[in-house]
Parts: sequence; C-alpha cells; structure tokens
Amino acid sequence: MLSALREVQIPLLAVLLISGAVAKAGRAIRVRGAAWTSPTALFPLHLRRPLAIALCCAELLLGGGLLVTAGSFGAGTPAITVRALTTLLLATGVGALHELRSRRPQAGCGCFGELSHAPVSWRVLARAALLAVAALGTVTAGQLHGLATLTGTWVLTGIVVAEVAVLAALSPEIGEVMVRLGYSEPCELRRIPVARTLATIRRSAQWRRYRRYLTDTEPSDVWREACWRYVVFPGIAEGRVVDIVFAIYMQPRRPAIRAAIVDAATDQALASLTIPFQRSAPPESADLYGSIKESQ
Amino acid sequence: MQSHGGQVRRTEEFRHGCDDYAETSPPDKYTRRSLLRGAVLNPSPDPWIRPPVRERTVVSGQIVDVSPHVLILQTATGEQRLTLTPETRAWRGTAVRPAALRGEDHVILRTRRHPQAVERMWAQIGRVTGTIVESRGRELVVDEGPARGRQIVLIDAGSMRQVQVRFPRIAPGYLIDVIGMRRPGYLLALTPATAQPPYRAVHPPVPPLVNGHVPEQVSGTAVWHEPGGEPPDLRGIAYPALDPETGCERPGEPDAGRPADPHDAGPGCVRLPYLSVGSAVQIRNECCDAAAVLPVTSCGAASRLFCDRCVQCGTSPRGRLADLTMTAFIELGGNLEDGCFNATLSLPG
Repeated sequence: MLSALREVQIPLLAVLLISGAVAKAGRAIRVRGAAWTSPTALFPLHLRRPLAIALCCAELLLGGGLLVTAGSFGAGTPAITVRALTTLLLATGVGALHELRSRRPQAGCGCFGELSHAPVSWRVLARAALLAVAALGTVTAGQLHGLATLTGTWVLTGIVVAEVAVLAALSPEIGEVMVRLGYSEPCELRRIPVARTLATIRRSAQWRRYRRYLTDTEPSDVWREACWRYVVFPGIAEGRVVDIVFAIYMQPRRPAIRAAIVDAATDQALASLTIPFQRSAPPESADLYGSIKESQ
Repeated sequence: MQSHGGQVRRTEEFRHGCDDYAETSPPDKYTRRSLLRGAVLNPSPDPWIRPPVRERTVVSGQIVDVSPHVLILQTATGEQRLTLTPETRAWRGTAVRPAALRGEDHVILRTRRHPQAVERMWAQIGRVTGTIVESRGRELVVDEGPARGRQIVLIDAGSMRQVQVRFPRIAPGYLIDVIGMRRPGYLLALTPATAQPPYRAVHPPVPPLVNGHVPEQVSGTAVWHEPGGEPPDLRGIAYPALDPETGCERPGEPDAGRPADPHDAGPGCVRLPYLSVGSAVQIRNECCDAAAVLPVTSCGAASRLFCDRCVQCGTSPRGRLADLTMTAFIELGGNLEDGCFNATLSLPG
C-alpha cells in the first residue's frame, strides 16, 4: 500500500507540473505579463520576466523528466536526480508562497496561470506543502512496476481519487473553473450589437403602436445606460414635432421594451399618446438601472 | 526626437463618431438624454444641472493682479475680484504664497461660501497620463489615447529621481502619469501621480468575473485630466466603460507610429457598467464625504490601463473609476497636486 502510494505520486506530480507550466506559458503569451501573479513578483522588476520563464521551463522539464524516468529508462541516478530536484522546487515554492502571502497579500500565486489570481491562502500553502512531501516520498521509490492484480488496480484507483479530491479541496482554481463554466454576464456588461437591438424593436408591439408617428425609421440617437439601451426616432404627433423613445432591456432573448413620446420643443411627455405598458401579470418593480423580470 | 508641437488631436474622421461632449456640435443631444430616459423609465437627477447652492465653487481664469488679500482674475464671464486669506493655499510647481503667483498665469481655484474666500488655487498646473511612445533622457512623448493625442513631457532635472522611484521604466510601451507645470508646447513634470504598473501598457490584468449584477457601489480611485478641447469649466467625467457600440471600440489598425489603442486592452481591472455620454453618475469623495451627480462627457479608456490605488485617506481598492474634469475634481474636494482621491461610484435613481 505504501509503495503504491509513493508510486502514484510520480505521474500525479508530473501532470500537475506540466499543466502548471502550460497554464503559465499560455497566460504569458496572451498578456505578455508573465510576472503579474506569480511568486516572481517578490523580485525586482528586471528579474521577474527571466525568473518567470525559468520557473516555467523548470516545471516543464521536471514534469517531463518524472514521466521519462518513471520506468526502466532512466532508472537509478537520473530518476533520483529528477525527483530530488522536483522536491527542491516544490519545497522552495512553499517558502516563496509564504513570503508572497506576507509581503504581497493581494497577489495570486499564478500556479495555474490566470485561474490562480486569488490571493494566496492557507489552502494554497497546504497544497504546496503536500506536494513537496509527496515529491520527497518519491525520491527513493524506485521505478514504477505497474499493477499485477485487480485488487492492486482498485487500491491504486482509490488512492488516486482520494488524492485528487484532497488536492481539489485545497485548490481555489476549481472554484474559478466552476465560475467560468457557469458564468453569465451581468446585464450591465452584456454586449449586444445595436443592429440586433433595432431589429428587436422593429418586431415589437410597441413599434407597431408608434410606427404611425415616425417620420424616419432610422434612429436619431442611440445610447446605453447599464441594463437599458435607448433608441430615439423623430416623429410628428398631434401636429407637434416629437421624439419617440424606446428603452430595451439588455437581454439577448425576449427583452422588455418600453416606449414614450416626448414633445421635442417643450420636452413634455405626451401622456395621452403614451400607451401604458400592459401585461397579464402584475409588473415587477423596475428601477432605472436595476433588473427587470418582465418580458415583452 | 520628432517634434509634435504640443498636443496632437485626433480628428473626427479617425474616431468614426465616437461620442464626446466637447467635440459634438451642438452637444444638446447628450444633455437631452437624461430627459428622454426619464420619460420612458423612472426620472433621475439631471446631471447637467448644477445645484443652486454649493459649499464650494470653482473658478478659473487668468491672473490680472494679485496681492496678499485680493486676487483679480479675468474669467470667461469678465473680471472677478476674490478674497484671499492667510489660510489660502497656492500651488505653482510647489506650495507657494498666493502673492508669489504671476500675472497672466492661468489659475483654477476653489472658493468656499462661508466666509467667501479662496480656499485653494493652482497656477499653470497640468497632467499627462498615458503610454510612453518615445523617450530620450528626460524628454518623453506620451500618447494619451485616441481622444487626447500625444503630449511632450520634460521631466524636471530636480524631480527626475523622485519620478524614477515611482516610474522605474521610462521606456516606450510603459505607462506614465505625472503632474507638473504647463508650459507652451509641453509639460514640465514635477511629481509622479502614481506608481508605475509592472506590466506593459496594453496588457493590464484581467478583472475578476462578476456574476449577478455589478455592485451598486463600486470603490476605487478618481483622477483628473486637463481640459484639452473641453470647455474649461466643464463638470464631467471621462468614463472608462463607455458602451462598446458607441464606436470608440473598433478593431485597431496597426500603426507603426503609435501604441495600441487602450480600447483593445480589455475592460481594465475594475468592472464598471456600460454607460454613454450624457449618463448620470454619482461620485463620492470618501476623503471628505463630498458627493455629486455628474454627467459622462467623454471616453476615458486610458484609465483602464491603470490598476493603481489612491492612498489619500486609507487605501482604495484597485482601479480608476472616473477621470474627472478639473472643475469636477476640485468641486468634490480633491486637490490637484494629489492626483487622486478615494472614490465610490454609483448610479443615481
């Protein structure tokens, strides 16, 4: 059991090191700001980039080295060297994260690129310490023998599942992934093209009601405030020049639409022509910038 | 170094209709937006209307004469005589006695009502915020974004060390924000307004995702900018998060001569609701508990590049919420030489 526990650490550590290196490299390529959320933030500015690159390369090489030396190829001194260096890297990481937490409490560890932007917490420290201990245990593990029995397979699977569960519990990155998977952009930040807004308005009941007052079907003004977009059309009503204003909620499907007519000269709303918003159910309260649950 | 002869403005054709209060003639369409919005949804405070009674007012103009007790200023509405007291504080590159100000200096000042007197005044103050495009020793060319163009900055020899402490990388591609004396054609930089971010200008950190709704109140930093082409007494905000559909955000065409557009750098490090020119925003100065409803008057995309904090009273959360006009900044109790105040932004109504 103990030898199985030690052996399973090697591929686990390799996967974590390689995925961490890939995530860091991916973020560095995207933003060209490799040092922003990593322990290299502790170092002077001119050293951060080369250290970040060195760290990424070290993780990649050691992760690959663990896999290559896991079997008979590289057994002996090469395997021990790679595992010892991995232990050294991870143990240094524990110290660096502790230092980062003390001196730059708002900085993320950057362990898995942009998923690791949350400040370093005790969970991250515990995870790093656990991995360092796991790496230490692999130094004298010898080469991986594989599994000869079904019982051994179940034991190994159980160990892997348990360890992955513990690591996941200690990883804030899991929460970040879940947030990204279930993320829904708030209406204040939603991007909807103006052309789509206009098409929605032109299909609406309000458009059919006010269409006869319009002197131009192209808007004279379009603007947006948080969860609402406003579209103004010029028109004539009751012998007066008017503006017909449509307000449409920033929602991709079946958005709420409201409309009003305003005298262009006196700035008074023509209440006699403004048809109240009608719906079958009692209207939800809708403040200027808040959410609204009613639909068109 | 190529001479740019001072501020180089982008013409309207480059901006393809990007909303800007100062560059739209007439600007009535922006001032009517709050009224039209109120007609179709719930009315909210008109940001263009100044409160009739204010504890502080802002006056700007050119000095005609100054003595220990009286300041005579030539303003847009004519000559004004203003009372100076022993408590009046003046800035001209550094703190000076009011009587040390010079005739023909352009000043902007804050007066208080009770008793009516000048509280603070700033002579020939200027600020440059943006991306370094060229650098040669103490001479820089800084790109302030598509709306404001490029500025020439000369770092004062005596201030070079102080600036370098806060901005260790004075090199193309890095951000800079300095306050100093406005001279013909350039800014003499005297004070760093913030600390330089460690990232390059076009790659600020990505803000955390926001689920549900954007918080009703967002805290961060409020800064200020020079009028440029705006009316000098304009009270307003260059807002960092104008609706992308306004035309300010468009695929940047590569230009070997200028850095990437700040609009291409993403939303910045604080998520703000999308608004438009003419929208009303309430800004509260947390340092002196002054608040005002102000209109959005232009695009402040360059503010997205900075993820700095203001430490005037405590430490603010990261991110610039609003780039105020000088009048608005002073009226809210800010001091121009400080560069910022801790602020909270909310939407009225």
